[in-house]
Amino acid sequence: MAAKVGIVLVSHSAALAEGAAELAGQIGGGAVTIVTAGGTDDGRIGTSAAKVQRAVQAADGGAGIVILPDLGSSVLTVRALLAGPDELPAHVVMADAPFVEGAVAAAVAAAGDGDLDAVLEAAQEARHARKL
Amino acid sequence: MPESSEATITLAGDLHARPAGALCVAAAKFDATVRLSVGASEADARSVLAVMQLGASRGQEVTVSAAGPDAEAAVAAVIGILAEATSAGE
Repeated sequence: MAAKVGIVLVSHSAALAEGAAELAGQIGGGAVTIVTAGGTDDGRIGTSAAKVQRAVQAADGGAGIVILPDLGSSVLTVRALLAGPDELPAHVVMADAPFVEGAVAAAVAAAGDGDLDAVLEAAQEARHARKL
Repeated sequence: MPESSEATITLAGDLHARPAGALCVAAAKFDATVRLSVGASEADARSVLAVMQLGASRGQEVTVSAAGPDAEAAVAAVIGILAEATSAGE
């Protein structure tokens, strides 16, 4: 079986990241690697570049990784890592997407063996998803 | 030579998030393009959010249509998931 695209959820809150990962994993059928980077290194609300780097390493199955940040400094932290020379591997991209919907859409696309572009696109299409 | 196929099922229960995900993962494994329609609403079966947005509920008719070389198998697979998922009372 081909490697699946990995997903990294970056949130200010460890609980939020864990919950979104649990939900997306269930809807995706459990076949996808979803790793979280939530909160600061000492467990407070905030973001940690080191946690993001460790999560990316853990999610790397060789088929690429889509990072979904929740908001604000999560985005800035990931952006700074992506801009650096070698903080993250080359096949890592950040999705501009709502956190929960994007995580679910990305998990399902990855479970269906979508490639990095397809998973990124699925996550970003979540911007247009309406609830009503 | 592109083929097309279509089938309709009456849902025995609501289409919840988990079976919607299973349906999309299954549909993605086929080359055929698969679409779901409920009343006037339509969704690409590869988009879990679009499928959930259909809000398909118990008693509603869902039409699954596919176009592509393996259209028939794709429709059968998706209909099978809809039948199983909505009858299990999930």
